[in-house]
Amino acid sequence: DTAAFLPAPQNLSVHSTNMKHLLTWSPVILPGETVYYFVEYQGEYESLYMSHIWIPSSWCSPTEGPECDVTDDITATVPYNLRVSATLGSQSSAWSTLKHPFNRNSTILTPPRMEVTKDGFHLVIEVEDLGPQFEFLVAYWRREPGAKEHIKEVRSGGSPVLLETMQPGVTYCVRAQTRVKAIRRYSAFSQVECVEVQGESLPL
Amino acid sequence: LRKCLISMDMRHLEKSFQEMKRALQNKDTFQNVTILSTLETLQSTKPTDVCCMTNNLLAFYVDRVFKDHQELDPQILRKVSSIANSFLYIQKTLQECQVQSRCHCSQEATNATRIIHDNYNQLEIRSAAIKSLGELDIFLAWIDKNHQKTSGA
Repeated sequence: DTAAFLPAPQNLSVHSTNMKHLLTWSPVILPGETVYYFVEYQGEYESLYMSHIWIPSSWCSPTEGPECDVTDDITATVPYNLRVSATLGSQSSAWSTLKHPFNRNSTILTPPRMEVTKDGFHLVIEVEDLGPQFEFLVAYWRREPGAKEHIKEVRSGGSPVLLETMQPGVTYCVRAQTRVKAIRRYSAFSQVECVEVQGESLPL
Repeated sequence: LRKCLISMDMRHLEKSFQEMKRALQNKDTFQNVTILSTLETLQSTKPTDVCCMTNNLLAFYVDRVFKDHQELDPQILRKVSSIANSFLYIQKTLQECQVQSRCHCSQEATNATRIIHDNYNQLEIRSAAIKSLGELDIFLAWIDKNHQKTSGA
């Protein structure tokens, strides 16, 4: 019986970027067989008050590949335990548990992708849409000595936002960072992007 | 004395609740009884009582309701877990206020809390837990009203 003993999955780890959390593990390989996996989790509440309770993951009970998007399961900023079991027919392996609980406040926040454009004399920015938990802080300024940096909070990405009416002949520069209040953190600033409206600079 | 405001993802909490509300309220066998009724009478909670009431009600849910509720449906279990862990996080952020002694409890707040626990004790434990879960919207609305600077937890 090839599966008299079904090994438990090994090398569990979570890769989290921009509040998307992916649990991965080393596959259990049995030649000629399709092994499925069950993923379960418990938040800090369960581990503190009802440690016998493990909750089936939203998307991976079962799943075929050696990975599971647990973003919809990790919904609070507390440590979460995660575990995986392999199954083959009626056979199930032991549970393998993530060595260290995962907290979403450890997610990697990348600077946002943005597009800075001119709409006539209007300086416009569109930041990528990263989901409802993301807000953005946009800084913009005139590229000239002593210019003041202006700040604008953008509540959500995916749509153009007017920053300023530009003066012809002046270069305007923009940079942005993401903010996630649910974990009280923000990303590094993006690269600076500059644009200029052609034409004579009007006399003051 | 700066008001003790907490940051909370109300949108997610309310969504989690709405997605289980019908199932919970269908299991509520005592429709004409309420546990959080006192909150309707607390419409004008004094600002100085907000932190204490928030703390007391979070503890009510974390230490009693979620523990007493036994759930077999994984869908409901996920929603309850999401709210329970969010409340646990909020409790931690409120502890910072307590350390700075900005979470004073007046007699009125203490009485209101005791009434809630008394209401809970009147019912059989599972029924009381189901009813309290079904009344989470009352508590969430009260939090939303009294912690205006809410946005993400």
